[in-house]
This record gives sequence, C-alpha cells and structure tokens, in this order.
Amino acid sequence: MIMEELKSKLEKAFGSAKISSNYSNNLAIELDETQAISMLSYLKNLGYKHLALISCVDWIEDNQFELVYVLSAYMPSDDSYSEKEKLNIIVKTRISREEAKYISIIDIFENAEPYEREIHELFGIHFEGHPRLTPLFLVLKYDKPPFRKDFDTRQFVDDYFGNIPPVE
Amino acid sequence: MDRNQLVKWIKAPAKMGHKYSLHVVYFCTGCGIIEIPPSITARWDAERFGVIPVATPRQANLFLITGYVSTKTLKAIIRTYEQMPEPKYTVGFGSCPINGGMYWDSYNTIKKLDKYIPIDGWIAGCMPRPEAVFVAVTHLWTLIDKEMADGYKRYREKYDYYRANQEKVFGEMEWPPLYGKE
Amino acid sequence: MRELELYFGPQHLGMVGNFSITLQVEGDRIVKADANPGYLHRGFEKLMEQRTWMQNFPLVCRINVVEPDHIELIYSMGVEKLAGIEVPPRGKFIRSIYCEMARVGSHLFGLWAYSNMLGFDTVAQWAMYHRDLLLDRFEELTGARVYHIYLRPGGVRRDFPDGFEERLVNTLHSIGGKVPDYNATFFENSVFEKRAKGVGVLTREEGMKLGAVGHSMRANGMKYDIRKIEPYAAYDQVDWEVHTSEGGDAYARLFAIRDEMIESVHMIFKLLDKMPAKGEVFTKTPNPFKWRVPEGDAYVRCESSRGELGLYMVSDGGIKPYRVHFRTPSYTHGLAALEKVLVGESVADVGNIMISMYVVAPEIDR
Repeated sequence: MIMEELKSKLEKAFGSAKISSNYSNNLAIELDETQAISMLSYLKNLGYKHLALISCVDWIEDNQFELVYVLSAYMPSDDSYSEKEKLNIIVKTRISREEAKYISIIDIFENAEPYEREIHELFGIHFEGHPRLTPLFLVLKYDKPPFRKDFDTRQFVDDYFGNIPPVE
Repeated sequence: MDRNQLVKWIKAPAKMGHKYSLHVVYFCTGCGIIEIPPSITARWDAERFGVIPVATPRQANLFLITGYVSTKTLKAIIRTYEQMPEPKYTVGFGSCPINGGMYWDSYNTIKKLDKYIPIDGWIAGCMPRPEAVFVAVTHLWTLIDKEMADGYKRYREKYDYYRANQEKVFGEMEWPPLYGKE
Repeated sequence: MRELELYFGPQHLGMVGNFSITLQVEGDRIVKADANPGYLHRGFEKLMEQRTWMQNFPLVCRINVVEPDHIELIYSMGVEKLAGIEVPPRGKFIRSIYCEMARVGSHLFGLWAYSNMLGFDTVAQWAMYHRDLLLDRFEELTGARVYHIYLRPGGVRRDFPDGFEERLVNTLHSIGGKVPDYNATFFENSVFEKRAKGVGVLTREEGMKLGAVGHSMRANGMKYDIRKIEPYAAYDQVDWEVHTSEGGDAYARLFAIRDEMIESVHMIFKLLDKMPAKGEVFTKTPNPFKWRVPEGDAYVRCESSRGELGLYMVSDGGIKPYRVHFRTPSYTHGLAALEKVLVGESVADVGNIMISMYVVAPEIDR
C-alpha cells in the first residue's frame, strides 16, 4: 500500500528514475547524478529523516563508482507503529571513475559527515563542501586507495611486511 | 613454606618480589580484551597470583598484548613499552601476534610482533580461556627464576635492529631513539 | 583563560576498548572534542571479498567483540534475502532465544564497565560473575565461550542438547533473583543519581538529526525498536513490550538498559514455552565451495543490544560477495553524536558518557 503510493508519487515527480522493489521492505531507486540530491531532499520532506548509511561500490568493468544512500523513517509519535517505518529506501547513482568527485549532503543530513570522510579515505572520492576531509583510520601511505578493486592486498603484504628481517 | 622457598627468599629477595607481584598495564589492545575482565573478577580471581591491573605504565611490569596489532596501535604500544621501568616482561595473548592469525592478508595489521618489540612468551588460542592466562603466569615465574625472561636486556643490546624495523614500517618516527649513542 | 590539549588516549583507565579522543579543555570544562578512531581497523569488508560466502562466518563474528551473535544473524539474513531461503519454525524460535541470551550477556558486560568506572566495585564483580554463568550455557550449546559460530543461512547448525532447557532456566533464575540486590545497591543509590543525572543529555531533536538509535532514543520516551517495527525470527509470536524512560541523560539510559535486560529474561521463558517441540532446525544449502548466490543488492536490519544494526550486500552471481557494508550503531554514536554531547561537560565525565551510550570501538573501525 504505502510502497505503491510512494512509487507512483516518485514516478510523477522524477520521470527518469528507475524504481523497483524486488525484495520485501526495500524500495530501490536508480537515478542520474544530477538528480540524486534533489531526490534526497524530496524524500526528507516526505518524512524519511533517518540517514542510515552512505556506501560506495566499485564497478571496475563499467569504469564507474556507484554511491548508495539508505533512508528510513523515525516514528511519528511515541508509540504508534505504522507501515511507513518498515520501508528502507535505497537511492543509487553512478559517477565516473576517473574524475571521482561529488557534492556533499551535509546541508541536508547532518550525520553524513563521518560516512563521506571514510569514503574519501578508502575509495578516493572527493566531496565538495565537506568541512574536514582528513584521514580517519589509516596511517601508512598506499599508492592507491585500498578498497578499490585493483588494489591487491596479498601482494601488498608480501612486498611491505615481508621485507622486514627478524631480530636475532 | 618449605625449605626450598626459604633459601630462594634469602638469596634473591628482589627477584622473588618481582615474580609474585606482576602488575599489568591497563591497555585494551585488541579482541582479546573480552577474556581479561573474567580473569580479574570474582570467578577466576587473578589477584591470588599477584596479578592486578594498574593505571599507568610507569607503575607496571607486565604488558599483556591481547589480540591483533594494527599499525596505529603499534605506535602506542612502542611508546607504552618504552615508558615502563625495568625489569619488564611482555606476553603475546592470542594467535594474532604470533604470525598474523586470521588477518594474514590484511593491509593494516602487523604480522609478527617479535620484530618490533621483544616478547617473552606466547599464549595460543582464539580466544584463550582465563585458565590459560594463569598457566602463562606460572610459566613466566619459572623463566624468571632461571633468568631466561630477558626481553628487556635484548631490547637494550639490539636496539639498533629494533629501531630499524620500526622505521621501515613508519618512515620517520616522531620521538628520538631511547638508547642513543652519546 | 588558556586552553589545553589533552589526549584521552588508548591507554587510559577510563577507556574500555581501543579508542581515543582529543580534548581541548579550559580549566575543567571541555570546549571541543575530536574523536580519533582507527586503532582496530583491519579492512574487513575488503577481506570478505576474497573468501566464499560460508568462509566469511569466522570473520563476521569478530566485528563486535562483546556480542558477536547479532552480526552473525544479520549476515545470515542478508544471504537468505538474496537467495530466497526460508527458515523452518523451530529454527526461528532457537534464533530468538540465542539472540536474547546474547543481549542479556552484553548488558551485564556494560553494567560491569559502567559501575567499574564510577567506583561501584561490588556491582561490577556481581555482573561479571553472572555473565560467566551465561557463557557456560553458550559453551554447552556451541562449543566456545566467546566466538560461537552457530548461525548459518537457512537456520542454526544443530539442535539443543538433552537437558539444555532446564539448565538454561536455572541459570536465568539465578540471574533474575539477584535483580533486587542490583536495585538496592546501584540503581536506587543516591551517589549514582548525583553522578549521572543531567550528564550527557541528548535530546530527541538532536538525536534525530545525528542518527542516534537504540536506547539513546528510548531514553527520550520514543518506543523505537526494530523488533516491533520490522519483526524477524520469532518476535511477533510472543507478546512483550518496549520500555522507555524520560530525560535523555546517562541516568535515563541506564534505566532503559536495566528494563530491557529484565524484559529479555522474561521473553526467553515465554519463547521456551511456545517453541514447537520437534522439527527441522535448518534448510539445506548447496555445496559451500560452489554455491552461487543470485545477482542483486539488498539492505537488512535488526536490533542489536546497541541499536539498529544494518547490512548492505551486493552480489554479482559469483561464489564470493561483491560488496559488503555493515552499518553499526556505534559509528554514529561514537563519531557524530559524541563530539556534540561532550561540549560543556567536565573531564571526569567523559568515560561516564561514552559507556552509557554503549560505544564499542571495534564496531566503529571494522
């Protein structure tokens, strides 16, 4: 019920979006990168105020990164459960792998800050408008960001840690 | 106590004092921290062995490295180890400090801890039970009696090799060498 | 007055777990706080892409060291959603009982950490002792005290041993019978009230903006619990209720934890009564070395003892996962919410606030 109404409302507002629901309680929306930010503010105004996750997938064969935003809703009042909170909305958009930059959504959702900082460090994507893109987890310097698909961890371990001699 | 112990107490009272009161630095290094609170509370009491956690490294003489070591933690471990006064003993807890353990292909963990600071003994397991901690402590007493627990002496003699290995991982270190050549 | 930079670093008596905060203090009041995670980063999600679907279970356990059971549950639920596998009814009840036992154990560990920080050593020793009695039940059921690898996609690995249910009921009676003593010594103590009331306040609006979940929102009066919103396993076949408290400070959060623990103990008794007496406990899955999960991507979530735990999983039709990303509750509590809540508090209360919000360091770094 709620999922059908939401699907038709979104198809009227954003004509070029591809909306599908193959799994229970999941509504997946695929968009162009110029429209994703306005889709997120539109969903926030409809009441989906909880940003659960910002993730990134490296599709190396298509030469693209895919940014994924997952939203859900808090309860409207203290103890009434409705159909709206069951839904998880997944907004996906693809950006080019060579340029690797996008706009930060800190003005819309305030808790996006650590997620974008982590994606910058591990995938190498630059977010414009983010106040601090400093390293979060890593100490050593790698020649390419470690979560990309062309970084081979076993080769790195052999080269870097295998050359250190034991003390005897 | 029997006559054997009395002779040891009279001959080397300082060594017996070190053995029976090993104070552990309170530093939760990795996964293994989940089996340390059961060892020091009421069910498996570690204080009857003399082992009790203390707040700062300046008051401690046992360093228990519980679990895997990432590169950021290694810096903190080296600083803590160099602040402890001698004689000091280190024990590696779990199978990750021995040879990398389950994270053998990770880009951010240290594979063999023995190359960076000296280790006196290992406890294998993932996780080891609290009884394994007590077996390790009693084994350490035997080693201290026979003067074989000499990690701190090895660190002082071979400091150049240890420092060279540490600099290979981190590049430039932020603090000067501990035992410098003056 | 001058400002001083202080490192509430990894080697500190007030820190449980390997995490560090850089504080700028003026006298005794904190002006700015910067969280500094990364001491436990192993690159889990990259390591999981190099092992097959079933080989990932030993890795998945070790993300949250205090309570590894909910993360096994969420990984199994993710694979079941992508592959379309159903769990048989007796398997669902066993999963719920197992998760509730883990919740009680995790809350007892949190009570040890918090009362040790404030100086109530008696309550800390009791809490750790009772958690050890529960770990004996886990050892009998799964074979290990801490990292039990008991769940699998399609159900659980094996059924209960003989006589397990009576021994579990006896253990829970001995834990539940001590609750009046916990109340008298700790929860109704005026020293605890003076130390925790008004400290670390996270209001409802701030919490909704910063992404706070779990008992940090239940301490504000909102009954936000994923087990009621999107029921999984056998939670919709038993009646139970969600407890809340008012105030949003550390005092209210501890009361929300205590009430949730007591409710879990009662829920295990009700689940044991309603469980079907005989039946299969798992659905068969193909050969683990050759199992190809169909293509797609899905998001699943459950309620761990810290809040909403989620998993975004992508499969490209192969024998290994393509991308796995865990949404852990300590990530927003420890990085986004802690930096706002600590401003204006005194230095002696940093550990107090951090443990009452249940920040566990390995969940942040993964």
